[in-house]
Amino acid sequence: MSDLAIDVKELTKTYRTPLARRKVEALRGVSFTVERGHIFGFVGPNGAGKTTTIRTLMGLIRPTTGSAKLLGHAIPSREARFKVGFLPEAPYFYDYLTVGELLDLAGRLFGLSASVRKKRAGELIARVGLERAQSQSLKKFSKGMLQRAGLAQALMNDPELVVLDEPMSGLDPIGRKEVRDLIVELRDQGKTVFFSTHILSDVEAITDRVAIIARGQLQAHGTPAELVRRTILGIDIMIRLPQEADHADLTAGAERIRRHGDELSLTLPADADVDAWLARAHAAGAKIVQIVPRHETLEDLFLREVALADAPEDGSDDAPKETRA
Amino acid sequence: MIGRIWAIALNTFREAARIRVLYGIVVLVIGVNLLGVVLGEMVTNEQARVARDVGLTGISLFGSLTAIFLGVFLLYTEVQRRTIHAIVSKPIERWEFVVGKYLGMVLVLTVLVGLFAVALIGMLLIQDLGVSSAVLKAVVLAWFEVLTVAAIAIFFSSFSTPFMSGIFALAMWGFGRVTPEIEAASRDAAPWIRTLTKITLEIVPDLHLFAVSGRTIEGEHVSIHAELVSWGYVAMASLHGLGWIVGLLALAALLFHRRDFV
Ligand SMILES: Nc1ncnc2c1ncn2[C@@H]1O[C@H](COP(=O)(O)OP(=O)(O)OP(=O)(O)O)[C@@H](O)[C@H]1O
Ligand SMILES: [Mg+2]
Repeated sequence: MSDLAIDVKELTKTYRTPLARRKVEALRGVSFTVERGHIFGFVGPNGAGKTTTIRTLMGLIRPTTGSAKLLGHAIPSREARFKVGFLPEAPYFYDYLTVGELLDLAGRLFGLSASVRKKRAGELIARVGLERAQSQSLKKFSKGMLQRAGLAQALMNDPELVVLDEPMSGLDPIGRKEVRDLIVELRDQGKTVFFSTHILSDVEAITDRVAIIARGQLQAHGTPAELVRRTILGIDIMIRLPQEADHADLTAGAERIRRHGDELSLTLPADADVDAWLARAHAAGAKIVQIVPRHETLEDLFLREVALADAPEDGSDDAPKETRA
Repeated sequence: MIGRIWAIALNTFREAARIRVLYGIVVLVIGVNLLGVVLGEMVTNEQARVARDVGLTGISLFGSLTAIFLGVFLLYTEVQRRTIHAIVSKPIERWEFVVGKYLGMVLVLTVLVGLFAVALIGMLLIQDLGVSSAVLKAVVLAWFEVLTVAAIAIFFSSFSTPFMSGIFALAMWGFGRVTPEIEAASRDAAPWIRTLTKITLEIVPDLHLFAVSGRTIEGEHVSIHAELVSWGYVAMASLHGLGWIVGLLALAALLFHRRDFV
């Protein structure tokens, strides 16, 4: 048994619109691996290629070049799909079904017996908190409820690997937390969870590994801690200064300078002499409100990597456009 | 495999059962049958003739139009609304999905043709006209015609839009019903036209096999109002239709297999 849940090698995908003769290079050589038992966060801005990667893995689209394996099976693999659960992006299901009927249909496609289908459907409906909506057709579901129904159908086969495309989108803060808890619970049961998002706090909180994708290329890959530079980036300072006091002396060399009435906030470079600066501030009649060292967050990393990806590397700017066919 | 195909077929049936237009069509067909009765009353000697002609034309016409309508939309909307994403990412083969969709349509169309036939037979019985075996044979033939038309529609919709598929399927249906006439007409034409016609007609399903009344089959003039074709002929024509259905579905599955779902 392969110890990799997902193994992606040099995946490229070029969408062609036959009539417009326009090409979109949605993936430009994506490689990464996901170990079994991990929670893997796939992060990127809109149009980065997350959904394209996921659809390729699930056999919905064919890669232009490159290969991938799910649970050791080369895609598209029916065998792998028996053991994988999938939540599509912004899922839309047959709206005339109830959630129970949707789960039953999913169970049939996984070849489960009637009794197993009934039992699992009941458990999962409770797990995602849709008991009270059981008699409604999906047509009457809100976006968040559909997302929950989608999560339930992805778990009908008790999968080894769960692939979720933006599982937290459309959910309120409580819903987000519930999904985070569910993902952690799945990992604790020994499953692998691969999910995409552009919300970094979701990733920072629960993932074992993170990959950042932008413009169809992987920008970074590692543990959240590895990716975030642990060094101090700067020192955030807030002081109170008499209105009439001149602060030119204090703000020299500082960044993010903001003055609201008698409040002055700024960021000193990491190597600044803070003691000397404080002495000058005192001399000017300032009162210190707070001093905080600034570490990099995934948010910063994200912005940094995306900015790098956006900088044209060569003359030919063939970046994908944000248009949907 | 059977379980998966059947799951898709039943779901397709449920989906189709929600299309209001279908109920309108049923009402329409019953209305057409009633009209047949009224017309028959006006032409006193021809009561039975009119009722049968109108009833059978209704089955064939409305059945085939419904088949085209369902065929071009049911597969397309799955892709368009992306409901297919949660389906083909499960361990179902794409050909199983296509066959399941088709079987679901077969269920719907069979119910429809059944209702149409009941309307026709009811009308005949009410008027004390009797139901000949010719009528039954004609109903079976019309049923197979409708199922073949559904396969034509699903074939086109496996790679094109509902509008284009609808046009193609309608054209195939129209040509398919009159191939012998076209052949006859081209007999005196220039050789290259004849060859071209022959090749064209070769790729059009032989729907004329199902529309026998008023034709000369195996050297004899057949009519719904007298002796229609033999049951042997019905079986042969049905098998022929089945051949077309299997072939068209295989092509549809092949084309569907290659598609990207985005
Ligand atoms: N069917 C398509 N035809 C042409 N281009 C496409 C198609 N689908 C996606 N693209 C393009 O491919 C690129 C990647 O899209 P993708 O949907 O994979 O991004 P994403 O990372 O999932 O974004 P989001 O966060 O908005 O979901 C985008 O530039 C998009 O415009
Ligand atoms: Mg996406």
